[in-house]
Amino acid sequence: MGKTVVIDGNEAAAWGAALSRPDMVAVYPITPQSSLVEYLAEFIADGRMDADLMDVEGEHSALSVLHGACLAGARTYSATSAQGLAYMFEPYFRTPGLRLPIVVSLVTRDGVSPTCVWGGQQDAMSVKDIGWIHMFCENQQEICDTIPIAYKVAEHPEVMLPVNVNHDGNYLSYGVARVDLPDQEVVNAFLGEKDVNWHACLDPERPMAVDPLTGGATGAGPSMFVRYRKGICAGMQNALSVIEEAHEEWGRRTGRHWAPLIENYRMDDAEIALVTIGSMTGAAKDAVDEARESGARVGLVKIKTFRPFPAARIAEALAGVKAVGVVDRAVNFGWNSGPVFQEVLAALYGSAARMPVMSFIGGLAGADITVEHFARVIERTRRLAAGEFATQPVWLNEND
Amino acid sequence: MGAFDTIAFHPERCDGCGACMTACSTAKGGASRLSIVPGAGDGRFELALCRQCGDPRCVMVCPAGALFKESDTGVIAWDETRCIDCLLCTAGCAYAGIALDDASGRVSKCDTCDGDPACVKVCPTGALEWVTAGDIYRDYGEKEDLFVPGLSACQGCNSELIIRHAMRKIGRNAVVATPPGCIPGMGSVGYNGKTGCKVPVFHPLLTNTASMLAGIRRQYDRTGRKDMVVMALAGDGGTSDCGFHAVSGAAERNEKILYVCVDNEGYMNTGMQRSSTTPFGSWTSTTPVGDHMRGKSQDAKDLPMVMVAHKCAYVATASTGYMDDLYAKLDKAIAASFEGFSYLHIYSPCPTGWRIPSDKVIEACRLSVESNFVTLWEYTREKGLHFTRSPDRPIPVQAYVEMLGKYRHLNAAETAHIQAKVDEKVALLRQLAAA
Repeated sequence: MGKTVVIDGNEAAAWGAALSRPDMVAVYPITPQSSLVEYLAEFIADGRMDADLMDVEGEHSALSVLHGACLAGARTYSATSAQGLAYMFEPYFRTPGLRLPIVVSLVTRDGVSPTCVWGGQQDAMSVKDIGWIHMFCENQQEICDTIPIAYKVAEHPEVMLPVNVNHDGNYLSYGVARVDLPDQEVVNAFLGEKDVNWHACLDPERPMAVDPLTGGATGAGPSMFVRYRKGICAGMQNALSVIEEAHEEWGRRTGRHWAPLIENYRMDDAEIALVTIGSMTGAAKDAVDEARESGARVGLVKIKTFRPFPAARIAEALAGVKAVGVVDRAVNFGWNSGPVFQEVLAALYGSAARMPVMSFIGGLAGADITVEHFARVIERTRRLAAGEFATQPVWLNEND
Repeated sequence: MGAFDTIAFHPERCDGCGACMTACSTAKGGASRLSIVPGAGDGRFELALCRQCGDPRCVMVCPAGALFKESDTGVIAWDETRCIDCLLCTAGCAYAGIALDDASGRVSKCDTCDGDPACVKVCPTGALEWVTAGDIYRDYGEKEDLFVPGLSACQGCNSELIIRHAMRKIGRNAVVATPPGCIPGMGSVGYNGKTGCKVPVFHPLLTNTASMLAGIRRQYDRTGRKDMVVMALAGDGGTSDCGFHAVSGAAERNEKILYVCVDNEGYMNTGMQRSSTTPFGSWTSTTPVGDHMRGKSQDAKDLPMVMVAHKCAYVATASTGYMDDLYAKLDKAIAASFEGFSYLHIYSPCPTGWRIPSDKVIEACRLSVESNFVTLWEYTREKGLHFTRSPDRPIPVQAYVEMLGKYRHLNAAETAHIQAKVDEKVALLRQLAAA
């Protein structure tokens, strides 16, 4: 059996990475991710982790180094946050097209401006449509477990896409909790050795041109480019079942069964439902429990996998409720709402179910979303079910 | 047909002193095997000497098989035991390269003193030169061409020359990065699924070439494949401007990379826009010449010097006008890339963007070096900086500037500014070279 430790979320991520045995770790520090890369450096310095550590001059290079190493056959890892992700964007944007199975932790944070170094999911939500798989963790244990799962998914030949494993800055990065570390042998058996990604590699034994100019209006260009684009979409859709299989196998090997796509909490007879993502889910579940004690038939759907978006599962889970309150930790400025709210609306419209849905935005810039806040969300969603519609989002911390 | 080292003659340097003939006579005995004779009335001298021809008439006309071309040196050898003294060879040669020696009564000709000619050593003006470029072409010819056949560069562009030579040098056990610009524009990474190289090649981003190569090199070092060359063939924009963070970071970490920067002084592939290595006064499409602007108003970033400040394992400048120098530096740069960051900066004129005829590119290279606008030097941590071609006795930079269309608008003061900057740069280099 592995050992049990009490660690913060950044150390849990470092353990998840170390257990996955990457060859190359390229890092650049940024609040609130910094301690994560310090843990990795410490693991490598102590010999607990056999990886090459490259302290690069910025996040743009951190991901670029992973591109190179991965094209030479390496399993690779990095972590970043907010401004770091923004600076990383150019190679980030390119990664899915190269179909590189890279795993990067996002320690989610609100972006500048106004200048802010505290938690929020604006960074992750700003890159949701690039072609990276996104999985959001609820607690420290889930962070540690999800990183090996992420490699299993990324390196699956039917997927071959990069994965962001996201955990909330501050609340999870610095919050301490009990974590059961799996045995290295268990993770080894689960993950296996990384195969060289022969579809795109730079090896003199097998020369190829990686990323030649593709497209243009004539010849094979347009159809070839479309084939690449459709390939990413196919990989994403394949990932839905691969993610489920990977979580199932992880559960079998470790005894910890995480909901792979969405988790339905007390949804069986629910009349109204909350939709949550990330660490806010803990307080939300407490609020649901309290409301249940007073007789309210309320349930909760937690989104673990945000990309690919498990639209059918969400529509199915919410099909029977009379109203839905979606709580976001980020803002979709163009829609005057939260981004997850938009996603849920889109998923529902693909089904026959019709019910009012409201957007709640909270936890920005490190603000707490308390059980009390969620009680207000539940109360407002009950009134929504009763016909009190909303045209504006509710900003949970605007008077805090 | 092989290429061989040979004796070159620069008539403009010859003062007719005859020291070479005396040295030859002393070294070989008998009459001198070369003759310096007055030219056709222009005050210059001409040289009569065996050309060691590739298709030698003397050999063809010899009825006795006494003359033959040595396969390893290219020298036309004379076998005195076979010679029947018919003198047909002296009639067959158009260059007076083989002649009757009155003293011995037999023919005699230059044998290059086994590759160490006595005449060259005594020439006081440098009019005679032992040219070793033959090594380059022989070496080049023996190595496999790893770049796509044909040429899709602009006419006269030397970048294709650099690519071909560099890739032949590194061989098949290599990975090559060609960031966006003229070099992939020439088809190195191919188009729509077809490659342009026989080695693994890729388009990095314009901005991350050195970082991607660092990741590749580290992984192959980790898996024990340390003998692989990991090389960038990049332009000045991606090196000096938006990709500089990656170059500087990789150099600081001493990543084992061969980084070749082909500097054509601007973003030529995208339409000749200004870069930080564009020199003062240059017309570019973003530093045009009009009533309110007279080309680039700032001086160029001296990137090779910036790399010296990084204390790289190797830093050198080169020009396609001096291929022997470039070739030697390529060898050193490749060797250094197994020890640490190795940086080779090659100045490569852009006939299209600089507005010069395509047949004037090598001349532009030569004038840029002869005027010290481009200096040829190399740096190592152990030995510091030294010139590989003397910057002494330069010609005025005016001679270089006036042959380039991009400087057509320059006035005397602007040309003087360029001259002053050249002098300033050479003074600094001299200080470093002396240190």
